Amino acid sequence: MAHRWGMVIDLDRCTGCEACVVACHAENNIATVGEKQAAMGRAIHWIRVERHWEGEFPNVRVRFQPIPCQQCDDAPCEPVCPTYASYQNAQGLNAQIYNRCIGTRYCANACPYTGRYFNWFNPSWDKPLQLQLNPDVSIRESGVMEKCTFCFQRILAAEANAQAEKRQLRDGEFSPACVQSCPSEAMVFGDLDDPQSEVSRLSRSDRGVKLLGEVGTFPKVTYLTRES
Amino acid sequence: MKRRTFLIFSAASAAGALVDVTHKKGLPGKEMIRFIPETKLVPGVAVHRPGICTQCPAGCGLDVRVMEGHAEVVRNGQAGLLRMGLAKKLEGNPEHPVNLGKLCARGQAGLQVTYNPDRIGHPLKRVGPRGSGEYIEISWEAAIGELTDRLRPLASQVDSSGLVFLTQPLRGQRQVLIERFLSVFAGSAHVPFEFFDDAVLREANGLSFGHYQLPTYDLANSRYVVSLGADFLGTWNSPVAQSLAYGTMRQGRSGVRGRFVQVETRMTQTGANADEWLSANPGSEGNLALGLAHVLINEHLRSAESAASAGDLIEGWKDGLPQYSSEAVAWKTGVPPATIRRLARDLSAHQPAVVIVGGSPLAQTNGLFTALAVNALNALLGSANQPGGLQFSPYAAGFAAPAEPRKGVLSPNELAQQILTGRPSPVQALLVYGANPAFATPPGWQVKESLEKVPFIASFSNFVDETTEMADLLLPDHSYLESWLDHVPESGTNEVVIGVAPPAMEPLHNTRATPDVLIETAHRLGGRAAQALPWKNYEEMLRSTVLPLRHFPGSVAAGSDDDFWKKVQQQGGWWGTTTGQTSKSASRPASFSPVKEQQPEFDGSAKDFPFHFLPFASQQFYDGRNANLPWLQEMPDVLTTAMWGSWVEINLQTAQELQIEQGDLVEVASAHGVLQAPAVPSPGIAPDVIAMPVGQGHAQYGRYATGRGANPISILGPQRETNTGALAWASTRVRIRRVGKNGELCLFSTGPITWGEKQLKR
Amino acid sequence: MAQHVITPTSARPFDRDTINQDLLQPVLHTSRRFYGLTSILAAFVLAGLAAFLFQAYAGLGVSGLRRPVFWGFYITNFVFWIGISHAGTLISAILRLVNARWRRPVTRCAEAITVFALLIGASFPVIHLGRPWLFFWLIPYPSERGIWPNFRSPLLWDFCAILTYITGSLIFLLLPMIPDLATVRDRTAGWRKRVYGAVALGWRGTPREWHRLEMAMRIMAVVIIPVAVSVHTIVSWDFAMAPVPMWHSTVFGPYFVAGAIFSGIAALIIAMAFLRKFLHLEQYLKPIHFDNLGKLLLVMSLLWIYFIVAERLTVWYGNSTPEMAVLLATERGKFLPLFWAMVCCNFLIPFPILAIKRFRTVTGTVIASTTVVIGMWLERFLIVVPSLEFKYLPFDWGHYRPSWVEITITLATFAAMPLLYLLFVKFVPIISMWELKGGEPVAAPRVEAASSWTQSRVPTEEPLPGSVD
Repeated sequence: MAHRWGMVIDLDRCTGCEACVVACHAENNIATVGEKQAAMGRAIHWIRVERHWEGEFPNVRVRFQPIPCQQCDDAPCEPVCPTYASYQNAQGLNAQIYNRCIGTRYCANACPYTGRYFNWFNPSWDKPLQLQLNPDVSIRESGVMEKCTFCFQRILAAEANAQAEKRQLRDGEFSPACVQSCPSEAMVFGDLDDPQSEVSRLSRSDRGVKLLGEVGTFPKVTYLTRES
Repeated sequence: MKRRTFLIFSAASAAGALVDVTHKKGLPGKEMIRFIPETKLVPGVAVHRPGICTQCPAGCGLDVRVMEGHAEVVRNGQAGLLRMGLAKKLEGNPEHPVNLGKLCARGQAGLQVTYNPDRIGHPLKRVGPRGSGEYIEISWEAAIGELTDRLRPLASQVDSSGLVFLTQPLRGQRQVLIERFLSVFAGSAHVPFEFFDDAVLREANGLSFGHYQLPTYDLANSRYVVSLGADFLGTWNSPVAQSLAYGTMRQGRSGVRGRFVQVETRMTQTGANADEWLSANPGSEGNLALGLAHVLINEHLRSAESAASAGDLIEGWKDGLPQYSSEAVAWKTGVPPATIRRLARDLSAHQPAVVIVGGSPLAQTNGLFTALAVNALNALLGSANQPGGLQFSPYAAGFAAPAEPRKGVLSPNELAQQILTGRPSPVQALLVYGANPAFATPPGWQVKESLEKVPFIASFSNFVDETTEMADLLLPDHSYLESWLDHVPESGTNEVVIGVAPPAMEPLHNTRATPDVLIETAHRLGGRAAQALPWKNYEEMLRSTVLPLRHFPGSVAAGSDDDFWKKVQQQGGWWGTTTGQTSKSASRPASFSPVKEQQPEFDGSAKDFPFHFLPFASQQFYDGRNANLPWLQEMPDVLTTAMWGSWVEINLQTAQELQIEQGDLVEVASAHGVLQAPAVPSPGIAPDVIAMPVGQGHAQYGRYATGRGANPISILGPQRETNTGALAWASTRVRIRRVGKNGELCLFSTGPITWGEKQLKR
Repeated sequence: MAQHVITPTSARPFDRDTINQDLLQPVLHTSRRFYGLTSILAAFVLAGLAAFLFQAYAGLGVSGLRRPVFWGFYITNFVFWIGISHAGTLISAILRLVNARWRRPVTRCAEAITVFALLIGASFPVIHLGRPWLFFWLIPYPSERGIWPNFRSPLLWDFCAILTYITGSLIFLLLPMIPDLATVRDRTAGWRKRVYGAVALGWRGTPREWHRLEMAMRIMAVVIIPVAVSVHTIVSWDFAMAPVPMWHSTVFGPYFVAGAIFSGIAALIIAMAFLRKFLHLEQYLKPIHFDNLGKLLLVMSLLWIYFIVAERLTVWYGNSTPEMAVLLATERGKFLPLFWAMVCCNFLIPFPILAIKRFRTVTGTVIASTTVVIGMWLERFLIVVPSLEFKYLPFDWGHYRPSWVEITITLATFAAMPLLYLLFVKFVPIISMWELKGGEPVAAPRVEAASSWTQSRVPTEEPLPGSVD
């Protein structure tokens, strides 16, 4: 049975703690690039927490917004890829096939959310840090684009489990690493095609907005606005 | 060519290539041998094992995802390849009452402690001068022998052995073990130390409420929260538990959304989430709390008596705190009187409400006054020990040191003085376990100098840090994923929680669990020492302490001891409502007279040093212990987006006046030292405050941390909270000047600090 | 036979021998200056090649590209050189079709620019790849798994368009070269004769051959114009098809084509001036040519300023926040110096020079053309980079600065163009001799004459023996 995976991020719950950021690094074998490259703007964070200052001291406010790939229904990154490395899979996810990627970086330019990250060099891990690598996720070589997958490996594993047990996937049975770790439970993941699921219930909330909805990307991530 | 022949051919040539490579290197002796693998593992199938996070004192439960892999390990001095279970991901233990399956960034990154390339892999003995880093590798046999030889003469001392055990604060059987180990040595001392300790708040809670421990905040049921400087969502107390509760406070109850006000001089990650953010003068938070109490009492929203004994601690409480009128408090705090009155009325109107205090307000010389004032306010609001207010986790008798007033506990400062002066008795040997005072104490405390004077230092640290660098003998501990763990959380839950976890994976290196080393040392010392630590190993000690819990209602029901022990291990601990003893409510010392208003004192004159200096717990490294983890180095600080270095936060307008731009190298000088770091002008910091994250500036802490950034502790004044003696780390004054253009600031967000209509219309 | 005779229309002061001697001089004699210049240029090109190999080996990280500016110098150069390529084929084809007679000395010179600029330009999409060794995955044929490339991707359109354009331009360049190559064949001996004989494809100058050549040229001239227009339109769509502020614009197609022709003419004028000076072709490339091309450049300059105003004014009035961020950054923010330098180079300086007849001299047009080439490079840069630096979310805005690798490769391509041109001039007569001869005032074709130009120009049924010139 086909699913349409989506996410809801409640900005009223998000505290900007960045547990999601490290969880994503650990789950998805994201390489650290080191100070020099990071200073150049080459750090890779499939999910990042954007910070927006408002006002001036002392009447100053901050808004946090965690931004993973928005998994758009009409993703600008997809049509522009000449090799189908960036394409939409059957479950509506904007997948990236690393082996097909030749590194035109067109998708990254087209993405309004700047949610795609490029491997400027081959990743490396000082021994024995390579032992932390998740065997379920391939590592990416120099010259290919990478991005948030909604932890596709977890989706596959959960589907395989459900299949082995001859049952349907249950709502909330699994979640991407960021959602799982989120200490304030600001993130909810699930099947948007299931009207009963928590995620589709929340995405219909009055507080729900899409990031850069005016660009016409139809994201599958819904943000619930802060109530203050 | 047929496909099959082709395949055979390619395999053969590949094998040939491999042989060729090894042959060329001419190192047949270095070929990896293979050890007998762990048999239970299925490749590709993850197993989940419980654990306990030791990255901060909160003690969250871990769920360690373990998968099969091939690791280069050392066994009995022989390097080889082992197919073993490797920890691949740390998640929160969904069963654990503190974190309920959640885990913060620092906790997640703990995986890199185990796999850190800079771990000490085997026992080392110093051969060069202290701090030279010249060691020789020795066997565990020799290392424990050396330790025993050094301790034996001390054990026979009658009056004072001169043995000091310096550790991070421990909560669990490690504490018991060390106390028992030290009991053999006359006049020995256990010095628990960490930079961001909450001694002041514990003391205040003991005085106000009879609980010498950190409170658990029931934010999930609060409707109004005022926090004075506490970074309770980021680094303070039990951040994961508090974040969970915070999420519920905001959006977890239908129709009710808790309101949250933060008062601090520099916006923390927590403050960034506040509905209203206020800045109060450093050290004036106690005044603010009493100003609020004044409004509550004088507007008859609450009666002064409702604060009970907590109110009696404040001078003038019964009379309605006449000296804390809104105007008077406004003048001292800088918070407008109307705001004070509004806050007080809101606190009263939106019940349950709670006022949190922690962090920098208590790190002033008047910290205890501030904490007592806030406690009195909470008592007045009826928030103490109430749902939606602050509570105290029940006491786990027999598993953690009893909560007691802080007395007779040495600080590293006193220890250093004892070492340097030899009074009251000379320090003969120092054992270091998980504490790094050489990094985390102000220079005026002379810790580093004193370490050079100690005849013998042994360290159990995983890494060579500034303190371990001074050690003569290095006895590396397992990483926490490789160890038997236990922890009794001080706060974060309303249950009695005893976290217990077996090793999640086999050790990678030739390391040994410190409790086991201590037990073995005691056995070798023989006599009283062997009697004090009668267990075969730490596992047995844990088992024997945990088994009595079987008879109390809790999370584990089992028919036999063995079954119980197995289930406790599977669950990652035991939790229930009681362990048989009620919490000993320590009564307030009779001699304690009501506190007067106390003004904060600052190190350095306002004329020479016009700015308050605020070191703060870093979101990435807490107190610096995580600075050697690359994931955290590359995790952007959420407010500044700084990575891989330290920075100096300064108010935007102040920076403009001083012509300091983002990324400029600035020099911050106190009366005790000077440091340089890049500047980050920020809208969220008071104009008279300079703030810096603690954690970078390690002189020695592995490849990822060494020589990176600057350590703000290195310019702190030595002054202490006047009542408790805790380090007043927020009471130093500094001056700042621009040094040059390129401070090598590494930011994740290279965009503008603010962007909006103003810029567009310009 | 009359239909094969090109009727003389303008008086020419020199005869066929002078033409042969003047125009074959560089082909037949090699000076030391040639070797010197070639080695200097080749050194630059080799440095660029080395830089590219280093980049391919070490990773694209050695460039200055970074998130969010994933395209920088390389794509700027790509668009720039593809633009330059519009010099030739398009101009030459249009002039051929309208039968503008002053074009004759200019056509080959222009067509050569097209081919070389295209080769250089087309190399950039490969240079800029993260994994350049896999560039052939862009070629539209299915992989072993039956997966075709993505025909929705403008990059694939690019590949097809540029490939078509290169093929067309090459044919367009080579076809009219055949008679001249035959002339060279006839005037050389030894290995050169064999080489030129091979590339002359056995040209005998029969009426059938002349007829076919004429037909082919006419067809090619018609076909190449839409191809050329489409190429730069498609290049513009690389940008316009992405929802990036200031890229996503309907004006981009014509704007790019106009800009391409603009920079192409400028490049042509510069190339002609060099040829005129160094090959002493003053009698062939005359002020009238510069004057005419100058007028064309003037028109394109006006068109360019029209497009830039049209583009920016609509954005300004539209006042959408993301686009305004880019607009303000280019016009008033960090790109201000580059933006106004571009306006000066493309309009404020060339306009008066080209508009005032007194200034529209060889020197004047060359000065104007030089500023235009610089200005158009800046224009490409200002299209590519600011939109990426200021894309939507201010938190992610970035700053691009090229590395030495990109600068070296860029310089190398600016050396590659003259190098290729130099070699071309070395091996082929840069001015179409037979066309020029066709324009010569001669009383009547001398059928019986044995001179090579007559052989070539005036077809006879029987193949004639080698030339006596």
